[in-house]
Amino acid sequence: MDLQKLMDLPGALAAFTYTDKGDLQSHVLREGTEITAQMLDLLTRSCVANLAIASMEARGWEALTGQGGFQPLKGFSVVGLEWSVVVNGNAGVVVKNRDADYEAAFQALQAA
Amino acid sequence: MHIVKQLMAIPGVIAAGEYAYRGDRFSYQGALTDEFARMASILCRANTLSVNMQSEIFDSFAENCGCRPVQGWIVRGANVTVCAVGNYFSFIENREDLLNDVMTIMRAKVGDVQDDLLANLYARLGGDTREALY
Repeated sequence: MDLQKLMDLPGALAAFTYTDKGDLQSHVLREGTEITAQMLDLLTRSCVANLAIASMEARGWEALTGQGGFQPLKGFSVVGLEWSVVVNGNAGVVVKNRDADYEAAFQALQAA
Repeated sequence: MHIVKQLMAIPGVIAAGEYAYRGDRFSYQGALTDEFARMASILCRANTLSVNMQSEIFDSFAENCGCRPVQGWIVRGANVTVCAVGNYFSFIENREDLLNDVMTIMRAKVGDVQDDLLANLYARLGGDTREALY
């Protein structure tokens, strides 16, 4: 995973990878950002949980409604007050809301 | 123009609506049945509560870190994306630039979600939910 490519996304503040259990593996922080490795370590655990829940919901939605197009899941994002975290697989990026390009972020994570 | 009408006017938006924010009410337009819209409303409410709970924990570790209150969330599917901002949701196709446009409109029309979101979501519990929560 090339975290530097994720850091090239508009408004990127941090990029990271994590294990299947949610342990932070590697990360890059934008100079001057208030985000810390400790924050990312907590964030990665919620990323694993949210992806698992979203995957369950996608599976259940398709089974119940007969509608397709949700699986396989391509990612999840939580939009906070000032920044958003976008994750897929075992990697994620934190982006400033005012500069956020969600599509580019999902695409970058998909390609990674 | 009302946010749901504005969203439905965009090619590629499958459905949009207001989910159960303060109780059981929900409304929608687009390619959903009443039952599917009810299910979508429950799903959106559950996810919103979940990510807000996470942000509260996050905030206790790193106060005023910029995550709280949560404004919304996005589930990116293979061909369909579900977005929620405040008490509104939309199901959209994965077309180029559509997600960014929809998020921009939803954030602009809903405005910044304030700290009373959880109090409103739990209002059906009765009593002083604000006091119970905080």
